[in-house]
Amino acid sequence: MSNSRRLFLKGACAAAVGASGFTIAMARSTTSGDVEPACNYALVHDETKCIGCDACSIACREVNQVPEGVSRLEIEREGPFGEYPNQHFRFTRKSCQHCDDTPCVKVCPTGAAYKDPKTGIVSVDEWKCVGCQYCIAACPYQIRFINPVTKAADKCDFCKETRLKEGQLPACVTACPTKALTFGDITDPQSQVVQVLKSTPSYRSKTDLGTRPKVFRIASQSGEIKL
Amino acid sequence: MSPFHFDSLIWHWPIAIYLFLAGVSAGAICFAVLLKHFKLGRDAYKSGFVQAACLIAPLAVFAGLGILVIDLTKPFDFWKILLFYNPTSVMSVGVAVLMVYQVALFAWLACVFKEPALSWCSGRWPVVEKLFNAIAKHEATITGFLVMLALSLGAYTGFLLSALTTYPMLNNPVLPLLFLVSGLSSGAAGTLLGGVLLKGNPDGKEVHFIHNIEIPMILVEIVLIFTFFAGLILTGGQSQVAAFTAIGEGFWGWIFWAGIVVVGLSMPLAFNLFMKASSKRKFSYVAITASCSLIGVLLLRNFILYTGQMTVA
Repeated sequence: MSNSRRLFLKGACAAAVGASGFTIAMARSTTSGDVEPACNYALVHDETKCIGCDACSIACREVNQVPEGVSRLEIEREGPFGEYPNQHFRFTRKSCQHCDDTPCVKVCPTGAAYKDPKTGIVSVDEWKCVGCQYCIAACPYQIRFINPVTKAADKCDFCKETRLKEGQLPACVTACPTKALTFGDITDPQSQVVQVLKSTPSYRSKTDLGTRPKVFRIASQSGEIKL
Repeated sequence: MSPFHFDSLIWHWPIAIYLFLAGVSAGAICFAVLLKHFKLGRDAYKSGFVQAACLIAPLAVFAGLGILVIDLTKPFDFWKILLFYNPTSVMSVGVAVLMVYQVALFAWLACVFKEPALSWCSGRWPVVEKLFNAIAKHEATITGFLVMLALSLGAYTGFLLSALTTYPMLNNPVLPLLFLVSGLSSGAAGTLLGGVLLKGNPDGKEVHFIHNIEIPMILVEIVLIFTFFAGLILTGGQSQVAAFTAIGEGFWGWIFWAGIVVVGLSMPLAFNLFMKASSKRKFSYVAITASCSLIGVLLLRNFILYTGQMTVA
């Protein structure tokens, strides 16, 4: 009896070690980004040019048929700062950051959340999604939502299924009247995105979480200084 | 900020109930195994406490899974979780554990209730007899795997939340341990309450055995809760903000101090300490102590789930 118990414990320990080794190996292979995308799309939002007109979010709703009550793109307004007549607002973009290291893709139990290997765009397979909302909870930028029509998780996909398919720029980029948005491939050194990023200092949101977001921001100088 | 509705809230109370039921199921079956192995042996099925645990374990896990499926935005697509697996997703691994756990659970139940089940069949269906005998041959292996799977299930509900880097309070390495230990103690409480309701002897050796394990378990739970919040506060930043939002003033602060610390932990501990080992236990004593523990664990699940989602990294 004691012999078989010892054998069982040995087996159980071996299984536990194997399982944890496998988990760690899997975690390593996913964080190191084993599949290098052919191109890697990124977006720059120049907050110094943004006037908060919402042309981008209206265009997004129209092109991607986003139902009322939810949105893929919002412009958040802070302010006013200063006194009349020198008043300023600060506008920041709230949308999918298309992280290179994606928390939503990691937690999705069915693989409905995935990073497109061709473009690096984080997407949702509507059919595979069961609506467990784990990805919504996992997103540190809190930009995912349940689409009330499809009942699947939804968010910005850089217009992958609409404008990009037709060879055009995302709807928000085209709609912007002040040219505050620049979209393109960061692996191509000649692209406009790379030129903008190389010439102007930019920042990204919540970089300390290690998600490597691909929405770059050029900081508005009119905001308040906070500690 | 209203305690049940705020912007960063994604998972509501049905998930807390599911986390609670999974813990109760895992805990109850662990105590059924312990009772059979150390106290009752072949006659285990006659004990009201083992019967209660063997009823609670499958019913709780079914109810929990039912709640989980209904809570999906596409409940009729739940089978896709069973078909597509993502090894990096804690939820995916947990679903796999839950499925294997249920198989092991029923195999073990067949071993425990082999005698009464076969006498009820009274040789009418030879297939059933063959099946029961085949399963009973591997009882030792099944028991070992069942305990491991039950412990995995108890910890899994904690890992499910601790994988979320979004929320600094949930993204905490102590959480799986805290959920495992509190799940085990809720299973013990469920077994005791169900046992006395099924006419088990409130002064029986089962109650003494479980109470002996319950006191150290409550102490460990207190240490884990302390470590959980001390860790958050010492980490600083948003973790510290999250800890003070949770256990500070307001609705959830009250739930924590009055509901979890006083009713869920201190009262069962006090009852156990004031009750001398030699004194005779009554129905009301066992039922009230167990109910306090169960309420405490249910509140703990809700408290962690809601307050955990209040602060974003």
